[in-house]
Amino acid sequence: MPDDRNDSMRTTHVVRMIARREIYERLRGKTFTVLTGILVFIILAIGVINRVAGDGGAETILVGATAPIPIGFESAIAQTGALVDRTVAVRPYGDAESARRAVDDGDVDVAIIGSERQMVFSGEIDDDVRTIVQQAWTAAEIRQGLVDAGLSPAQVSTVLSPPGLDAVTVDGDSDNMGLAVLTGTLTAILLFISLQTFGNYVLVGVVEEKSTAVIELLLARVRADQLLAGKVIGIGVVALLQFVLATLAGLVSLAISGTHVPGEIWSTLPVTIVWFLGGYALYSTLFALAGSLVSRQEDAPGAAAPIMTALVGAYLLVFVFGYVPESGASRILSIIPPIAPFLMPMRMAAGAASVAEIVAAMVLLLATTFAVWKLAGKVYEQVLLRRGSRIAWRDALALLRRA
Amino acid sequence: MLLVDGLTKRYGSLLALDDVGLRVERGQIVGFLGPNGAGKTTTMRAIMQLITLDRGVVTWDGNPIDHEVRQRFGYMPAERGMYPRMKVRDHLVYYAKLSGYRDAAAARSADEWLERLDLSDRRGDTVQSLSSGNQQRVQLALALLNEPDVLVLDEPFSGLDPIAVEMLGDVLREEVARGTALLLSSHQLDLVADVCSAVVIVDHGRVVLRGDVAELRSASTTRYLDVEFATPTDWAPDGVALTTDDKRRYRAIVDRTTDAGSLIAAAHARGEVVAYSFAPPDLSEVFLSAVGRDKLDVAERNRIDSPPDA
Repeated sequence: MPDDRNDSMRTTHVVRMIARREIYERLRGKTFTVLTGILVFIILAIGVINRVAGDGGAETILVGATAPIPIGFESAIAQTGALVDRTVAVRPYGDAESARRAVDDGDVDVAIIGSERQMVFSGEIDDDVRTIVQQAWTAAEIRQGLVDAGLSPAQVSTVLSPPGLDAVTVDGDSDNMGLAVLTGTLTAILLFISLQTFGNYVLVGVVEEKSTAVIELLLARVRADQLLAGKVIGIGVVALLQFVLATLAGLVSLAISGTHVPGEIWSTLPVTIVWFLGGYALYSTLFALAGSLVSRQEDAPGAAAPIMTALVGAYLLVFVFGYVPESGASRILSIIPPIAPFLMPMRMAAGAASVAEIVAAMVLLLATTFAVWKLAGKVYEQVLLRRGSRIAWRDALALLRRA
Repeated sequence: MLLVDGLTKRYGSLLALDDVGLRVERGQIVGFLGPNGAGKTTTMRAIMQLITLDRGVVTWDGNPIDHEVRQRFGYMPAERGMYPRMKVRDHLVYYAKLSGYRDAAAARSADEWLERLDLSDRRGDTVQSLSSGNQQRVQLALALLNEPDVLVLDEPFSGLDPIAVEMLGDVLREEVARGTALLLSSHQLDLVADVCSAVVIVDHGRVVLRGDVAELRSASTTRYLDVEFATPTDWAPDGVALTTDDKRRYRAIVDRTTDAGSLIAAAHARGEVVAYSFAPPDLSEVFLSAVGRDKLDVAERNRIDSPPDA
């Protein structure tokens, strides 16, 4: 016997059942596994390629040297190298001739000929290496000079290690603008891929139920808004799974490539996921609405075209306004529901979004999603049994007014 | 009691339903008959609240059909629709849960119906791999598995072989014996006549005949007299127009007041009679005379012979 649960409990039950079926269907099909595998592979491959073919950023700088070298040069060059995340090794050579040959053979990146006060490169002069060596050399010479002038080792250390300067931006932020741009851009790309993929799943799923007439039996059992909610939530769980996998792959990829992954990433990640879910909710519901207007798969892309346009437009705006998060245009755009999921996370990461803006954007996004969901449910019921040709957006709205 | 009253639905210039009414009591099978396009599917969709009506009401035990009441209905749409790649048992369990069953009860119900409809050995197959007859059984199981108070079956016999029709008929009779009210439609008027205790016949969106099948038939003023001789025999009784192709089987369309006994006795005098009958017209003929036509025109005949439009 059917049970005696109350209406809202039954709605939860029904939505969960529909969602579970969607999750099962998507995970069982090869498409999801293959696409996610490819995505993760590409992301990891980027990391590997960066490491292998990178500009040597992570490699140790080998410095050949012939006497005379100032005392403390080796420790000085290790310190200057560390300032720019490079390790440096110094390899002594007996004479200038063998040091030059080592450069020529590629055994070392640069040779210092102490007697001639020269840095020798094999081909092009590497400015990074040159700066590191020059600074270390100068520091070592100063130390030598101070020792010669009669200062004690403790006095020398005090003189040579004055308190450093902190690097900050005009707003008082620390140096995380680069990270904001990086994660913001990557998130926008992932979100775009995800919305396209899973929005399409929703679209195809809705049309499939209409084209196979499953819908008539379903709607005799459940309400259209329950059906839509279940479908969107189920596919959303799968989308989130892929998004998290891709994000984790991204972090692994960064680690592989040797890029320093700042700790702030762990606080931006949940924010990113919240916006991802918001963006997914809105766009997938829009795709469901588009799907309810047609009854054949071949008509689906046409009905979804306006949504695809909005999606691509919102995505591209990130590359214009994401880099100027403080601008007025960026502020306004990041509150508009279809754009917010792309632009707002970037502005938040940059510390450019006020709490009021964030709340406004989220509330608007959720309200719009809710309205679209209700609208889609109504259209669904109204146009369910109109088979054949596609229903224009205009006519669907007219239909609602009459209902 | 399922009560349908005054249903009216207009699609543009087409009046699809014109004041359609019917009633189905608990434990009763009512046949909802008529040619394709007569308005049967539209009426059934209206009962299931799948379309909005211009006018008319549907009630179950006096209550309007809301989502709650509808949970106690079983429905088999004219357009068979199932997820092609979903397995048979998964389908049943899924719909049982959508009808409000908890996991264990849904599984029990699914297994019970697989058993009753002789589908147990196909439980793990995908729907698309089944023959159309078996798909139809699954579709029927989906309508039955929530032990409905009301069954609305749109063309349940269409496309089935006679054995399947009989099995399906048995299952439906069992359900009705349990107290279910069953409304089933068919465009093949005579096929379902003996399953139903009453029929409602529609044409062009209007109810043209309703009542007990036997009464409707016997109420007709014409009777068919059929006589079959053992060998070809010349037979021409006075005042009766006979037709025959082979001089063995004769048929006469006569008034119901005709003295059949003396006619058959006269036939016996002509030769050995191996079979004879004196019967009222079939339901389809009753229907035709009710709508004032001799026979279905070609377009209608095509519609009747073809499966329901997809």
